[in-house]
Amino acid sequence: MALSLRVLFIITVLSYPLLGLAAESLRLRHVVSVYADEKGAGLRHPEGVACNDKSLLLVGDTGNGRLVRFTFQEGNLKGGTEIRIPQLSYPIRVQVNSKGEIFALDGKTRRIVRLASDGNFKGYVTAEGAPPSSMVPKSFKIDRDDAIYILDVLSARVLLLNADGKFQKQIDFPKEYGFIADLAVDLKGSVILIDSVKGRAFSAAKNATSFSPLGGSLKEHLSFPASLTTDIRGTIFITDENGGTIGVLSQDGSFLGKQLSMGWNEGLLYYPSQVCVNEKGETFIADRGNSRVQVFISVK
Amino acid sequence: MKGEYMKLRVKVLFLLIILCLCVSSIAYSQNKYRLKPDAAGKNCLNCHDNFKSVLKKQYLHTPVKTGQCTGCHDPHAASHGKLLSEDTNKICIKCHEAVMPKNARSTHRVAMEGNCVKCHDPHASDHKNVLVKAGNALCLDCHKKMGDGLAKIKFRHSPVDKGCTNCHDAHASTKSDHLLKNNLTALCVGCHRPDRPNFLKAHMNYPVANSRCSSCHNPHGSNTPGIFFDTVHSPVSKKMCSQCHEAPTTPNPFQIKRAGLDLCRGCHNNTVSEALNKNKVHWPLVDKVGCLNCHEPHASSHKNLVMGDSGTLCGKCHSDTMSIQKKLLEREKKEAAALPKGQVIKGALTHNPINEGNCDACHSPHASDNTLLMKQQSMVELCGTCHDWLKHTSHPMGEKVTDSRNKNLKVDCLSCHRSHGTGYRYLIPFPTQTDLCVQCHKQFRR
Repeated sequence: MALSLRVLFIITVLSYPLLGLAAESLRLRHVVSVYADEKGAGLRHPEGVACNDKSLLLVGDTGNGRLVRFTFQEGNLKGGTEIRIPQLSYPIRVQVNSKGEIFALDGKTRRIVRLASDGNFKGYVTAEGAPPSSMVPKSFKIDRDDAIYILDVLSARVLLLNADGKFQKQIDFPKEYGFIADLAVDLKGSVILIDSVKGRAFSAAKNATSFSPLGGSLKEHLSFPASLTTDIRGTIFITDENGGTIGVLSQDGSFLGKQLSMGWNEGLLYYPSQVCVNEKGETFIADRGNSRVQVFISVK
Repeated sequence: MKGEYMKLRVKVLFLLIILCLCVSSIAYSQNKYRLKPDAAGKNCLNCHDNFKSVLKKQYLHTPVKTGQCTGCHDPHAASHGKLLSEDTNKICIKCHEAVMPKNARSTHRVAMEGNCVKCHDPHASDHKNVLVKAGNALCLDCHKKMGDGLAKIKFRHSPVDKGCTNCHDAHASTKSDHLLKNNLTALCVGCHRPDRPNFLKAHMNYPVANSRCSSCHNPHGSNTPGIFFDTVHSPVSKKMCSQCHEAPTTPNPFQIKRAGLDLCRGCHNNTVSEALNKNKVHWPLVDKVGCLNCHEPHASSHKNLVMGDSGTLCGKCHSDTMSIQKKLLEREKKEAAALPKGQVIKGALTHNPINEGNCDACHSPHASDNTLLMKQQSMVELCGTCHDWLKHTSHPMGEKVTDSRNKNLKVDCLSCHRSHGTGYRYLIPFPTQTDLCVQCHKQFRR
């Protein structure tokens, strides 16, 4: 018994620096930047970016009022097909589900449109059955099971819809929030929120009915956190819009450090917006201020 | 028998000697330096003759009154100015600890910093509490803006003339913000009885006894009868409370008829529609609180019923931008003060519109078709509203000039400057202009 306790103690002591090392050693290395579609038409202030494990890279080319679809495989960028529909004039957030359907939040109408994988308009996500049904989505995410999570700033809640867009449940924003700017859903089904004003993250486990603070204040690290996502390990990536950087948090909310910095050259960010990390750890950042999308790989 | 008697005498004698030694040592310790009887204070006047006139003043600080100069001063040497036995900011609190309660909800900065001499004379004064000036004059010495405002307004709240301390505590308040002696409503209803018919009539029979009076009234005074803030929301001035609230006879009379933006839209439909038709809306406009994130519903001392100047108001959420600006402004002042007279450093560290609390010089507060809620799409034109850039630079700029670092970017003012400050002069993002120029003109890199 005593021996096993000793062993446990030694393992615990040893694991601390190793965990720290793992966190510290995560680095984003620039691979390629996306500037234009297949016809050479340049991107303009893109705010949305989505990716999946099938090498898809979908860009919400906000300033041009369109989506642009690429594939990114083994470091090579291909495609650049434009998707332009009248129902989507200002895409600010984009997502894809397991069936390849495309979802985009239009900043102008503040409605989420659903497109078939070929880019044809299929309808709006209306949160059917939600009490009340009126909503103003600021952002949304789609999990592995195609459930849709909507950040509804009008009613200060996160709406959970099934794949058909029918209301399942809602979780109210945490008390004394400042302004909740974005949400993410990790592989365990936990919903994570980022508060730009208070500089805090909140989380609600899969079956939780309320949010609780995740980690401490991020104010000293990040200027204006505006968007977030998680990777398959549960590591949280937060774009710092005004700081031009990416904050990295562990699953428990510990701040692990910052990646990248502000600037114009490749590998630097200027007012970044949505971020997406796929299963391979490839990270796609809508570098809005630089009118491009940048692709990074995680290196250790 | 005689032997025992002798022993007893010796013991008594021994005890007496011990007792004498104790008494003498106590006496010695109390005046081991053989101080003269008035050494603690009155003797000081032998040299500090001028001080005698101070003592003639009406109100004396207790140690001065009792001749205890050594209460604050060391007679021989000290590590602090004026031979004070403690730092000037800490000495008062040694005796006056109760002045700053530990559970204070608001504190007066000067008192908190121990800068007591800003208001009190440490020796004597002709004003009560050894204050350096009497009445409001003392407060308005620092609170100049308030003083200027009070001098101009038509309708002054009478307690203001009676003295600021009528409502405010000079040091700290355990009960309220702004050093108020009690919570605001309790203070108001102390004089303005809410059950009086006139009061009820003036408030359209709404049960306002527990409401925040300062949501409509300026507690110091204003130019509007009823000391309303100078900008009054039209339904309030027309006494049409039920335009937004439920009737006063209903169970929840203060309940608003619609939530957020929808309520305001009833009257301000054009403004709302215009905002909602833009590409980008300022998100707080469409959240649960809506317009009231930035606007007062009843009255405000600012135009358009906004809650404050845009610097303060925007800074509530965008504190990162404001705190950087504040730091840079302090640095700018410090560096300017360190220069020899007549010399100036070229190039600002800060951007004037932000310093002046004028964020809407560049940004549209409700919505815009441009990124970052900019008022104009072209940065060259936007900056050109204040800066005559043609005089400033001959560098090619505009929609036809591509940034050599990125083919999707055009050269504009923000290619070289960051309007919220960078820490470098001319708001450039690099330490020197050379560093900046060689970002594009790489051939000149050293």
